[in-house]
Amino acid sequence: MTTPVKPKTLFIGLALLCVLAIWLSLALGPVSLPLLDTLKAALRLMGVPIEAQGLEQAELILGQIRLPRTLLGLAVGGVLALSGVAMQGLFRNPLADPGLVGVSSGAALGAAIAIVGGTFFGGLPDAFGPYLLSLCAFLGGLGVTALVYRLGRRNGQTNVATMLLAGIALTALASSAVGLFTYLADDATLRTLTFWNLGSLNGASYSRLWPLLLVAAAVSLWLPRRAKALNALLLGESEASHLGIDVERLKRELVFCTALGVGAAVAAAGMIGFVGLVVPHLVRLLAGPDHRVLLPASVLAGASLLLFADLVARLALAPAELPIGIVTAFIGAPFFLYLLLRGRA
Amino acid sequence: MRLSTSAIALVVGLLVNHGAQASELPQRWVSAGGALSEWVTALGGESKLVGVDTTSQHPASLKALPSIGYQRQLSAEGILSLRPQILVGTEEMGPPPVLAQIRSAGVQVEMFSAQPDLPTLQGNLQHLGKLLGDEAKARELFTGYEQALGQQKSWLTKAQATQKAPGVLLLLGHAGGKPLIAGKDTAADWVLQQAGGRNLATHSGYKPFSVESLAGLSPDVLVFSDRALSGDAARAALFKENPILAATPAAKSGRVFELDPTLLVGGLGPRLPHSLVQLSAGFYPSQAKPAP
Repeated sequence: MTTPVKPKTLFIGLALLCVLAIWLSLALGPVSLPLLDTLKAALRLMGVPIEAQGLEQAELILGQIRLPRTLLGLAVGGVLALSGVAMQGLFRNPLADPGLVGVSSGAALGAAIAIVGGTFFGGLPDAFGPYLLSLCAFLGGLGVTALVYRLGRRNGQTNVATMLLAGIALTALASSAVGLFTYLADDATLRTLTFWNLGSLNGASYSRLWPLLLVAAAVSLWLPRRAKALNALLLGESEASHLGIDVERLKRELVFCTALGVGAAVAAAGMIGFVGLVVPHLVRLLAGPDHRVLLPASVLAGASLLLFADLVARLALAPAELPIGIVTAFIGAPFFLYLLLRGRA
Repeated sequence: MRLSTSAIALVVGLLVNHGAQASELPQRWVSAGGALSEWVTALGGESKLVGVDTTSQHPASLKALPSIGYQRQLSAEGILSLRPQILVGTEEMGPPPVLAQIRSAGVQVEMFSAQPDLPTLQGNLQHLGKLLGDEAKARELFTGYEQALGQQKSWLTKAQATQKAPGVLLLLGHAGGKPLIAGKDTAADWVLQQAGGRNLATHSGYKPFSVESLAGLSPDVLVFSDRALSGDAARAALFKENPILAATPAAKSGRVFELDPTLLVGGLGPRLPHSLVQLSAGFYPSQAKPAP
């Protein structure tokens, strides 16, 4: 298979796209700021001493609302796309997505427990309360994934097919548990649960951002180091181990990175579908299956895509806001169908 | 140029300041909560509203205002783009980080309780009256409300002397299909009680019921609240989708009444006493209709 786009061209293109997405995400919003004010406020935020006269509003909107939101979008998009590559590499199937190992459904279960059961944890200290949802979602994702991984192991070997089936079974189980919580929920909590399942970058704040940024940085620095091993895995498990790859360790790392990354992303922004599935596809179409290109390029593409989707989410119905999961699925699903019909998938 | 504009603004500002003692009061309002928006309107503040949420459906003129979306899923920048001075809503308003962002932009954020009881309403109305600069009107509205509910209560006592409270089920549905039954701890349950009905459902919250157990409860009265249809169309859809309901005593005696679903959101609204009178007239047909 020939690669239509040279890696260098691809990286330059994606980097430019990403910078454009960041700029638009900072410059556009329901509040229309003059371009000059946006620029000045951005410079001020970077520590350039400019007179603050008349910039208070621009600085507040940029610094407190748009910048955390943009950072959240970058981290979530990048991590979701990266985890998609990891899962597609692990299962050697381009249809795999991070939900397959149960991390999404586990996180949803955790969130449902936090949202519906929140009143039962009445005695929590106030400082902890706002983070309960994120924490439960993160732990839920991690827990279910660990269980899936554990079920796939036998005699020190991880059977990927068993893991896949265990993932499907546990996803079904977690979904029905979420269903049970939905049944128990009253009207108001039900709405919260529904909206959480559609994801949103709305209300991003720095205190929620740091944990995710750390995880995102760690995962996107670590996984590309394993690109060669992932390439070898494409040939098959035994072939990879004949090439000197510790396949068991690789599998463990892939599952762990996905659980950690997607768990943190979902905890911060709720469920955002299709980025993990579609972005790796898109990059593979452009640059071929080499993981040395695919991994870093997916981070850039995923981050840019999510920022553009968020622009639609915040501008389409302004001053109201669309959940971003709706936007990504609107872009993702038709694209996926297109891939299917082209016989690529 | 810039200087002269601000000078004019200053002069105008001074004049306005001088003219109205209410200059300190917020003039640009965003309301997130159906009943609250109605009260703001009733207190004469409709012209100050610059945006409302999706639960604010009454009066119909509010629908022309920019929509800030669902009250639990507000967007900070979206609301700030309306340049409000105050955001009012019930405790359902959120998410909290967004409210914090709005507050940090210098917008006054006022939370009201949606608890359906008179003391809460009194507090809310007082507070709203103060913010709108018409406390007398707020007091007047509350007294009227209290009286209306008081009359309703004494009428009920009289009615219940001759007829025992009818067993009622409230069906909350969408175009008739798969209705949810209102149980305890819901606004609907409270409305039914105030209208003198005995809610036959004993679960809590709004839950789907099997039609069989529904008919087994043999309600004397059915109240439906449909989000998609209204009037006879909703009634017809309800019986078409759930034919077994036709066998209930309520259907046989024709005691199937409608309740506007927007009454069930966000605490006590100004339209409630009137609806209660209508409902209880249906619950106690032999008693002379109470004064509206």
